Amino acid sequence: MVKSIAQKEFISTLRDRRFVVLSMLVLLLLLAATVVGLYSSHTLQQERQVAQEEVNHQFHNSADRHPHRMAHYGSFAFRPKSSLSFLDFGLDSFTGASVFMEAHKQNSANFSQAQQSSSLIRFGEMTVAFVLQMLLPLLIIFLCFGAFTQEKETGTLKILLSQGVSPRQIAWAKIAGYSKTVALVVTPALLLAGGLLFGQNGLDLQPDMLWRLLLFMAFYLVYFFIFIVLSVVVSALHQRSSTSLVTLLGIWILCCVIIPKASANLGNTLYTTPTKAQMDADVHEEVAKGIDGHNSQDARAEALKKDLLRKYGVDSVSQLPVNVDGIIMAVGEEQSTKVYREHFEKLTGTFQKQNRISELAAFLNPYLAVRHLSMGMASSDFPHYLHFQNKAEEYRYHLAQGLNHIQATRLKYHDKTTRLSSDTWKEFKPFTYETPPVHWALRHHLLSLTALVLWLCLVCTVGMRLVHKTQIV
Amino acid sequence: MIHMEFALEARQLKKQYQDKLALKGLNLQIEPGEIFCLLGQNGAGKSTTINLFLGFITPTSGAAYINGLEVATNQLKVKEYLAYIPENVMLYPNLTGLENLALFSSLAGFDYSPESLMQYLIEAGLPSEAATRKVGAYSKGMRQKVGIAIAVAKRAKVLLLDEPTSGLDPKASNEFSDLLLKLSSQGTAIFMATHDIFRAKEVGTRVGIMHEGELVDVLSTADLNANELENLYLNYMHA
Repeated sequence: MVKSIAQKEFISTLRDRRFVVLSMLVLLLLLAATVVGLYSSHTLQQERQVAQEEVNHQFHNSADRHPHRMAHYGSFAFRPKSSLSFLDFGLDSFTGASVFMEAHKQNSANFSQAQQSSSLIRFGEMTVAFVLQMLLPLLIIFLCFGAFTQEKETGTLKILLSQGVSPRQIAWAKIAGYSKTVALVVTPALLLAGGLLFGQNGLDLQPDMLWRLLLFMAFYLVYFFIFIVLSVVVSALHQRSSTSLVTLLGIWILCCVIIPKASANLGNTLYTTPTKAQMDADVHEEVAKGIDGHNSQDARAEALKKDLLRKYGVDSVSQLPVNVDGIIMAVGEEQSTKVYREHFEKLTGTFQKQNRISELAAFLNPYLAVRHLSMGMASSDFPHYLHFQNKAEEYRYHLAQGLNHIQATRLKYHDKTTRLSSDTWKEFKPFTYETPPVHWALRHHLLSLTALVLWLCLVCTVGMRLVHKTQIV
Repeated sequence: MIHMEFALEARQLKKQYQDKLALKGLNLQIEPGEIFCLLGQNGAGKSTTINLFLGFITPTSGAAYINGLEVATNQLKVKEYLAYIPENVMLYPNLTGLENLALFSSLAGFDYSPESLMQYLIEAGLPSEAATRKVGAYSKGMRQKVGIAIAVAKRAKVLLLDEPTSGLDPKASNEFSDLLLKLSSQGTAIFMATHDIFRAKEVGTRVGIMHEGELVDVLSTADLNANELENLYLNYMHA
């Protein structure tokens, strides 16, 4: 029974030229977004890889320098593009691509695509995620708005029901038929994406990437299913196709435009963040209160010297077996890093609170749920950005402290003239970054995952109960 | 309560729409093999009666029974016994006549071969070459014939017809009358709401006249000719 109606819906849709044209357009957009996204992502990744190799080479082959000079010469950490980020650029276009790592100073990532591109990027990019999140629901609405209303308007619903079918059975059958149609539009693009992705990696099926891709697809399939059920339910609750369409378009505008913007604005209003200049000034002020790494006259530096003299039982710093300059630098670095980390954690905490508003809004809106999950699987969300930023900072700290250690152990007190050879810099391992595993990403999106599952349950239970109340006459 | 003796039964059936009492306590019994024609003006309550028997609306009071089962509490079960042809049969325009019939038959639990389906369509008066064309290109009469084929293929015990010959040409209407008589002779109870007094006289066993939601008279067609029926009907309408 359900199969017959589902098959009829599928065949009828395929024979409807308007829908076929619309579907072809969406499919072409999806395919174009997949190919262009992959090409763009591949190019960016190659550029970053080349740049990372270049700065690593430059660092390791730097001229003979004083270690502290080298600490200020610094290095760069380039954030590699994750393999799946071509499906959903997420925050990647707005967050920086590289971090300059130097002594005493914690820089945030710079050189985002948005900074380097025209301002048009802020109006949104044509990515696979954009088509799947925004355009596919529109296609579903145009496909399903008349699911019940057209049957009512033409009178076929009465004949259907008189054959012994319940409204709920009709609804499920239509949902099955529409799901098949939507799958027909989406599957080629997802297969292409998968094929290109694994082809690009020499058919190397890395389990984590495969899981991410499968979950990415699964989340979208659930999202489409929610929209299909929602559209069929709304259609069942209306008597006329025009009002059903207007209601569904209203829901789309609410879900895909108003709630996301409103939740982002609400987050910004409730939890304000300091400007970068303000934060830098605050960090500088707090660091200045303590050892700044340069001023050996600083009271705490003096105390440290006294401790060292006492520890080694000598009268002057020149008699110490270690270079006190290096020790002071190391302690200063520790101090400034501590201050910076406190401020950075406060700042990211504020960002997370802002994001939490958007995550909670996913309980009102499945679009937000799938958007967060999609970015999470594509590694282009805020937690992944933060993960990179923290890894870069970790590397910066160890690099600076490594160079301070060299100064403390290989140079004498107040020796500012010795230059160490480039072999010294080769002792430092270059910066490498690994995207965290899929379960790490999922853990950061449990709220969104719960919201998506709740939406699925809600439309399937409450929605179907409402279908039973459809007015036939 | 089960009333096995009647194919269709209405007991004090009432339907109130906000400010209008559409059906005022209908009492009616139709036996298997009987053709009951219900005459009445637009808005008299004919379609409301059919919708109540189909379970598409719930009665304000009273009850409708099909084959002894109360419709309101046995929505799906009673559908097994009945078939319905509306005034304007609208089918799925992107499917052929044959595909429409196959779909509706499968929903009723019948898995006919294409040959059998074609036979039903031909018996309903649809030319075989039209059966494989999309219904979107059909005339109203052709769609009506597919509707008749759907009802007949269901082999229902009760046939509910809401002005089914509307839009049919005279030849097709006559063929339809013959079909109703054939089904009736096989024991199918037929309830037909119609404006067509002459068709009612021709095929009906009994004729009911409905006026402003009330069944004002029930006549046996054997007792009067078409002209007498028309005069009687007009009298009630002008009363």
